[in-house]
Amino acid sequence: MQPRGDTLNATIRKALESHGNGAVTVLSSLLTLEDALGYIPPEAIEEVAHLTHTTVNDVWGVASFYPNFRFEPPCEHVVEVCWGPTCHLMGAPAVMKEVLATLGLNTEGDTPDKRVTLKFNTCLGACAQGPVMSLDHHLVGRLTPQEAGKRLSGVVGMKGNRSLQ
Amino acid sequence: MTTDNRVNIVVDGKEVKARPGSVVLEAAIEAGVYVPYLCYHPGMKPYAACRMCMVQEEVDVEVERDGQKVKEKQLRPASASCTMPVREGLTVRTATDVVRDLQKGIMEMLISEHPHGCLTCHRIELCGPQDVCLRHVSVNDRCVFCPKNERCELKDSVRFLGMEMLSPLSYKTRGLEVEVADPFYDRDYNLCIVCGRCVRVCEEVRADNAITFVDKAGKALVGTVRGASLLESGCEFCGACLDVCPVGALVEREHKWDKATRVSRSVCPHCSVGCQLNLEVNRREKVVRAIPELHAPANHGQACFKGKFGLEFVNHKERLKRPLIRRNGQLQDASWEEALAFLAQQLPKYQGGQFAAIASARTNNEGAYLLQKFARAVMGSNNVDVDSNTRPALARALEAPLGYAASTNSIWELESARCILVVDANITEEHNVVGVPIKRATRRGAQLIVIDSREVELTRYAALWLRPRPGTTLILLAGLLRAILDQGLEDKEFIREKAQGLEELRVSLGDFPLAKVAEVTGVPAERISEAAHTFATAETGAIAYALDNATLEEQAAQVHALANLALATGNLGRPSTGLYALRRGANEQGAVDVGATPDLLPGYQRVSDDVARQAVENRWGIKLPTEAGLGLTQVLRAAREGRVKAMLLLGDSYNYANGEMDEGYEALERLGFLVVCDSFLGAAAQRAHVVLPAATFAEEEGTYTNLERRVQLSSRALAPRGMEARPVWQVVCQLAQGMDARGFGFSSPAQVFEEIASVSPIYAGVSHQRLIREMAFTLRPDPKNPLPTQLAHSDRVSRGLQWPCLGTDSSGMAVLYGSGFPSGKARLMPVSVPASSLRVSPAYPLLFAPGRVLAQHDRDVSVERIGGVNHIQREERVEVHPADAAALGLKAGDMVEVVWASGRIRGAVEVREGQHQGVVSMTTLFGEMATRLQASEDPDPMAKAPLLAVRAVKLEKAT
Repeated sequence: MQPRGDTLNATIRKALESHGNGAVTVLSSLLTLEDALGYIPPEAIEEVAHLTHTTVNDVWGVASFYPNFRFEPPCEHVVEVCWGPTCHLMGAPAVMKEVLATLGLNTEGDTPDKRVTLKFNTCLGACAQGPVMSLDHHLVGRLTPQEAGKRLSGVVGMKGNRSLQ
Repeated sequence: MTTDNRVNIVVDGKEVKARPGSVVLEAAIEAGVYVPYLCYHPGMKPYAACRMCMVQEEVDVEVERDGQKVKEKQLRPASASCTMPVREGLTVRTATDVVRDLQKGIMEMLISEHPHGCLTCHRIELCGPQDVCLRHVSVNDRCVFCPKNERCELKDSVRFLGMEMLSPLSYKTRGLEVEVADPFYDRDYNLCIVCGRCVRVCEEVRADNAITFVDKAGKALVGTVRGASLLESGCEFCGACLDVCPVGALVEREHKWDKATRVSRSVCPHCSVGCQLNLEVNRREKVVRAIPELHAPANHGQACFKGKFGLEFVNHKERLKRPLIRRNGQLQDASWEEALAFLAQQLPKYQGGQFAAIASARTNNEGAYLLQKFARAVMGSNNVDVDSNTRPALARALEAPLGYAASTNSIWELESARCILVVDANITEEHNVVGVPIKRATRRGAQLIVIDSREVELTRYAALWLRPRPGTTLILLAGLLRAILDQGLEDKEFIREKAQGLEELRVSLGDFPLAKVAEVTGVPAERISEAAHTFATAETGAIAYALDNATLEEQAAQVHALANLALATGNLGRPSTGLYALRRGANEQGAVDVGATPDLLPGYQRVSDDVARQAVENRWGIKLPTEAGLGLTQVLRAAREGRVKAMLLLGDSYNYANGEMDEGYEALERLGFLVVCDSFLGAAAQRAHVVLPAATFAEEEGTYTNLERRVQLSSRALAPRGMEARPVWQVVCQLAQGMDARGFGFSSPAQVFEEIASVSPIYAGVSHQRLIREMAFTLRPDPKNPLPTQLAHSDRVSRGLQWPCLGTDSSGMAVLYGSGFPSGKARLMPVSVPASSLRVSPAYPLLFAPGRVLAQHDRDVSVERIGGVNHIQREERVEVHPADAAALGLKAGDMVEVVWASGRIRGAVEVREGQHQGVVSMTTLFGEMATRLQASEDPDPMAKAPLLAVRAVKLEKAT
């Protein structure tokens, strides 16, 4: 369950208070909040503007620049498929095709049932293991399309908040 | 500037002298060498985003040739000239093949997302500016479908580069909806080339940050937080982004498709800042746009929502066309001859003190001078004033302590002040452009202290906001003075050398121990001490004030207290210090200067001073009344009581209706004879016996004197068409001549000004001819080349002359009292607190402090589109003290109405500990007012922008 209202504001404030001493910037604040909440809610933009003595428009300028930030709560699970050059050569296109088919998506995004968020990533930093995908921030390497499909297929019909691994 | 410290560089073989610290592009522009550019704009920091301004540096290199070392000239790789600092001996080439290829390549990329049929159409050379040709280019690309047709920098640049546009790239249509629901602006981001000028002007120049870049790479555009409407994003609708936009993305909605055929330089009639505006006039003699002058001394290329979007009254169809005479109770058309003859017959019946003449806030110096001359010399009455002068002590009360009844320093010196104290002034709305240097100063680390019971926009920029209980500002100022003296923070040397009266001041402050001040004002003692310390210890401290919350009785005392603050801290006579009296009317300062005030002849010479009066009598050739007359508020009271029977009004005033002088119209109705010379049949004219149609500011030549004492010439932009409106100076002359008066035989405003200069010593060195002669060439860009609109309009600019300008050899005075005070020493005025009339009554037991700000991001707000127009939807909050809430049986969230004698406003109760007991406050959004001003049916809505008046109210539970 995503926090809302006062709980959300408290979470935002707590996250901002605890992050870095000295070098507080718009970007560092946004990163902290993305880590704490998984997304940047409108309230967070106001808090960051307040904290960094800028305006909400400035914060939005930074936030919208980076594709890492999302502005809606993420789904229960986050799947990232690498299609950097190495993974591409090692067979990422086939993996990607299988993942999209399994999740019933045409491109990166959220599944309609809000269970899985799919993101394309240009490098997950494990080129030697390629092709790679990450399931809720845990890397799975040397994938075959079958393996990728198997890992995901359970999730699609799954109920409840079970780990993907 | 002396030429000694200039840097010599060579641009395309031409030797150029450059300002040290400038960049090559600026040096080239100033030298008249054209380098294409799109993101650079004068007044903003170089940004190097568009990469159009490429140049190549030429260097000497030693090479070996045939075994011999020889020197050879080589070109370095191209780089952006807007970020290339000038240095001695630098040599650059601006038009090499490498540079041109790069520029063309960059341009191809830019126009890959911009419609460009218009850029290459084969009819470009054939079509004239007024032709409408629809057949040669596809619909989206037609030049006539772009509001910036004929004034687009992109098109000009393409033509300059001689591009044949053979690129196979077809352009990508963004397919974005044009933003037309916000007030005043149309934004079409399909045409945006993301040069960033608008974002930068909003941030760097205006310090507003209401817009930003959103997204990145191929999707990057200009926008607001989460796509919010400008109503929510903190936009003040100053129009600065429109003025710098090189393409058709940002344009004024009104006259969007109209092309200008000529441009004329006028002074804005909306407030006392004195912004120079370039009025664009089309072939139908309509003012279609106002572009603030880039090199004008008072506005530095800036304007505000009033100046940018509030000049439509000039073109309005309801303008008065002919004189009217009341016959059988009805105002009926008449000719000028009839009207003047009728006046010549009627007015002599009201000689002496039963006559009063009131100039308008927009009457220029020439008109105001003639009006007071008419009142005094022809009618024998000293009852003259200006209809915006509702706070007569505002600048006048500076005379006693300092010497001159005017602001001491120039507006843009505020930018370099280290501490700025803003007292009871809603600068963002009433004197918008003064807010620009203030906001910029805070960006540069200056401390801004705001003293105001109301929440105004500048509180957002303030290091300290002291929010006294309404009506106690004067006591708070006494507390500040006391804290400065108690802590020994006063400038002892300055006071010893230049001021007197310290002991009397000290004694008078005995009544204001900090604890007591804190208790009365509700501002904690430590905050008062902090503010006193901040202001007194700043290297330069300036004070801007408007007396918005002061009652008539306490105005003079408040001005004296502020003068004391400046004197005690030594903040006078130096740049970036001093006192800024924020006068209300555009030419209120000038009108008073030239004698449109009851006790002063032109140039601040007392009516009662026999020597001065006789000098004027000799000049005018007539005996003058010796008794001081009545000022604006007294005139209205006298009219109500039947002591003033006839009045001549130049223009109507919102002050008769907005709470400043509430019974104004009622008083006018009591008059036996009322003459109104105005551009519209307004509330005053409807009550008149004779109405004379007046030309507007744009239709007459004349001088305005702004709040920094700067006399500026406003030129005639157009002639009144289809109407018989006449300029005020001419009307008064004809009126006087009709009554057989001598001394009104003027043939031009310039001639009137000559007489002003001859009777008013502070204007002695000023003349129209001199103002024109001393206009300086700013830059000499070749008009054939692409230019930002503001640069294209800025060829020659007058800096005006700041009085006192005692002779033709004097260049005026930017800072008063730099070489001491006129009477030797300034006077510290003892503080006394007069009984305030800001009182509550049993019927209205609470005080209401209304505020208005650009944005409140911590509050929920939504925008709803109704009939294609964005409207702010928000529940307003009425902040109530817990004790008041308890007494009224209110709890948080209850809907209430704040009710006063002439209005009411609704909101939800918010019980707040920090609120003063007996006070309620509410802060609304500027965007809401902007929407209303845009939708207004009134011919001149900007002159009626609602003020934030503190008043007595009651709370009623809303049903």
